[in-house]
Amino acid sequence: MIKSYSFSQFLKNSAVYLILSVFAFFMLFPFLFMLATSFKTPKDTFNYPPRLLPRDAVTIELEGQEEPVPLYFVDYEGQQEEFALVQEGVRIGVFASPDNLDETFDRPITEATAVGGFVNQEKIEINGEELPVWEIEVDGEPVEVVQVGQTAFGRFIDPENPEREVLQNARLSTPVETFGFHPSNYEDVIDLQNMDRSLTNTILVTLGVVFGVLFTSVLGGYAFARLKFPGRDQLFVVYLGTIMIPFVVLITPMYQLMVWIGWVDKIASLIFPWIFSAYGTFLMRQFFITIPKEVEEAALIDGASRLQILTRIFLPASTPALATLTTFMFLYAWNSFFWPLVVINTGNYQNHVLTLSLNVLRGRASDSPNLILAGAAIAILPPMIIFILGQRFFVESATSSAVKG
Amino acid sequence: MSSSTIATKKPPSDQTDMFVQLTLGWHVITTLAGLGGLAYIWVTPGFSIWIQLATTVALLILSGGSVAAVMWIARREHRGRMASLLVNYLGFILSVIGSLHVLGIFLGIDQLANTFSRGVIWLFIMFLGYVVGTIGDRFEGTATQRQFHTAGRWIAIISFVIFLFRVGLLEGLQGIFNNLVDPIAMTLVAGILIFGFFCWVMWRRPTADLFGVTNTQTEMLNGYLFLTPNLIGFLIFFAGPLVFSLYVSFTNWDAFGTQDWVGLDNYTKLLNIDFAVLDAPDQRANEILDVTIYDELGRFNLFGRSYIVGAADKLFWISIWNTLKFAVMAVPLSVIPALLLANLLNSKLPGMKFFRAVYFLPSVAAVVGIALVWQWLYNSTVGYINYGITSLVNLINMFGASVTDPEIRWLSNTDTALLSVAIMTAWRLIGFNTVLFLAGLQNIPKVLYEAATVDGANEYQQFRNVTVPLLAPTTFFVMITTVVTAMQVFEDIFIVMPGQNPAGPGNSTLTMVLYLYQKGFQRFEQGYASAIAWVLFLVIFAATLLQFQRQRRGSGAYD
Repeated sequence: MIKSYSFSQFLKNSAVYLILSVFAFFMLFPFLFMLATSFKTPKDTFNYPPRLLPRDAVTIELEGQEEPVPLYFVDYEGQQEEFALVQEGVRIGVFASPDNLDETFDRPITEATAVGGFVNQEKIEINGEELPVWEIEVDGEPVEVVQVGQTAFGRFIDPENPEREVLQNARLSTPVETFGFHPSNYEDVIDLQNMDRSLTNTILVTLGVVFGVLFTSVLGGYAFARLKFPGRDQLFVVYLGTIMIPFVVLITPMYQLMVWIGWVDKIASLIFPWIFSAYGTFLMRQFFITIPKEVEEAALIDGASRLQILTRIFLPASTPALATLTTFMFLYAWNSFFWPLVVINTGNYQNHVLTLSLNVLRGRASDSPNLILAGAAIAILPPMIIFILGQRFFVESATSSAVKG
Repeated sequence: MSSSTIATKKPPSDQTDMFVQLTLGWHVITTLAGLGGLAYIWVTPGFSIWIQLATTVALLILSGGSVAAVMWIARREHRGRMASLLVNYLGFILSVIGSLHVLGIFLGIDQLANTFSRGVIWLFIMFLGYVVGTIGDRFEGTATQRQFHTAGRWIAIISFVIFLFRVGLLEGLQGIFNNLVDPIAMTLVAGILIFGFFCWVMWRRPTADLFGVTNTQTEMLNGYLFLTPNLIGFLIFFAGPLVFSLYVSFTNWDAFGTQDWVGLDNYTKLLNIDFAVLDAPDQRANEILDVTIYDELGRFNLFGRSYIVGAADKLFWISIWNTLKFAVMAVPLSVIPALLLANLLNSKLPGMKFFRAVYFLPSVAAVVGIALVWQWLYNSTVGYINYGITSLVNLINMFGASVTDPEIRWLSNTDTALLSVAIMTAWRLIGFNTVLFLAGLQNIPKVLYEAATVDGANEYQQFRNVTVPLLAPTTFFVMITTVVTAMQVFEDIFIVMPGQNPAGPGNSTLTMVLYLYQKGFQRFEQGYASAIAWVLFLVIFAATLLQFQRQRRGSGAYD
């Protein structure tokens, strides 16, 4: 009885882990795809079927070839071997015997000889059309044929023994590949899109917004939590109400404001309007309100000023709330896109933040997903690394908005 | 105790008295300056009405406050101190903001961005100094702790100074000094010093005692002082723009100087629709609608009669429809899996923290980056999503079925484009919602489940009768935030749609915010865009209200 219970428990737990893992796979896969693709060559990104890990074509130095030539898998006398592609676009005639047009033979045009000479080559009528007659070798026997089509093949030779040669379609051949990572994609995308400058801008904007919000929210939160003054509660209700108002309502007048004070295209427009957060003030107030009043009153009697009380007593006690607010504002500032798109709009690349650079990049490098995704990785990885280090605070910043709100 | 009481009752020193007299004189000056300014602003032609009004309000506060200060300070009443503080503090703040602006400190951030990378390593070392200081806390209460703290502090200070020099402190100061020769700048800096000085004079403890301050009054002044930085930002960057936005929505504001009052025109154009009965279902629209005003929005059939709907702004109605459709698709896709995952994560098995972290990952990544990744996942020829579908189809077909590969062209097909974006948005919201649900689940007392088990409830019954009702507040919150997020979708669509065409094939991904962006910042019809914003706000508000009502009704059943 107990045994069967634990077995059903085991089954249940396995099912739980299975479902969780399936979802985890779907959550992680786009990021893995991004990282893997960011190390690929452009050609590799368009390979079908798609492959996760980046691969490189294997090349070989050959005498008589200026550049290293790629290796392909070819069938040579029934055996699969690795041959080098030494010539592309070899003109190939598709020939067939007039008696049996379905069975075709691919031969280089130069290997076919005109029956009756080039000047008055024999002709034969097929389906109401006069076609010249050629002679080619099939299994060592000369056969009279007509040309029914033409194509272009690549010439593949055995690197060890150049005598051994195969002609086949280069596009449909499988290249010999090894795993090959190209971190240079990151350098390329940084050069192409000025990403180092946008990274600097993003860091600067994020630092400014985070510290600015901490400063105003701590002061404001303390005032709302602990200082009595006329109009406080009404003002607090107004603050709370504004959390609901969507940002898009403000976007046109804010843009006008930036035009008036000359901040369009300036980094200042990405920082200063965002260092006042009703949400942050609310968060700090909710935390400060939980700190016992007695501590504060004792300090007041000892002659401490309000600022001293705030910095010596309240701040050290509110590390969790500060960390929560920091992570929240960090993500907000680092990832914001709509406002930068609107306000840095005249192509001033110097003041682009990462998200804006990515937006431009996606148009400029639309044929190289490896570069685009390297750019995306530059934007996505820093918050992700910080997330892995300080996971707790991220999760708390999410839940605090719900439980306390 | 008694000695300190005596000390505070000590008569004010001559210095304090002199300071107060000085302040009195200063406020006579500010009164006169305020009145003079008022006269100047109304006599001199050439100011716009807005500047005149704003300046008048400011000057009235200045002179009114000053008059009050003079009268009450002379009588040594405490409200005189408050009036003086109000005037001087406001003057101080305006001077500071004005100086920062005129001296180019706000715009200097662009220069800082040029040089910031040279100094960033020192900023990092400064952080290391902080770390060194905290290491000292391991040796609580010993001399080592103090040594660590001192060492850490010095490392931090020195590296910060080096940082300042590396990023161009000297060049910056030089630029500021160059700007100082401007008379306006000099006036403003002088304003900082003078207003600041009188603020200090009035704020001082001896002055406060002179006016017989009470604790309540001190607390009140402190309250306003602490709130100011926040409140200024709130007024300039939130409340002001909010009111202004409403005003703009009643004008035909564009970026090129037109800004005439048009009343409700923007709203009537947005919302203007017309119904008409068709004689035949395929009758041409221009025979029955006034096509100079209305574009055909759609036709429908009701009780055997055909109707046609025309709209003055067809795209707006399309955008509303798409926004609602998007919310209807994205919300269940992100809430239902989140509920499932949260319940599984709540099972207290080992490794749950790992899964929670993995699910939360998309929430920390930039939407722009995510959308770029998904754009390639959705690629119809080499994308992984279609490859996955093809593989699945092949797998099924191996068992004898004959399913054809749908080969969906996700983002370039009218039917699937919006759904594709909704799937992506849901994917990035699931983790956040899971964490919220999990927090809600952990707040449900264990006792209730135990009681339910004793009563013989199976797991489904427990879920249905304990979890669901007790999770209702969390569910409500999750629903609200997700709906609000979904209805404001912009970045996801703007980036993921290929070919610089975010409106998608046949406007199938034109949402309200996207339409607002196109109107306001590509065609610069900002008055019209503001009207769209307010309609969007009302739609969101209505959706929220609807959920509030359902929540109230729902919770009533369990009370």
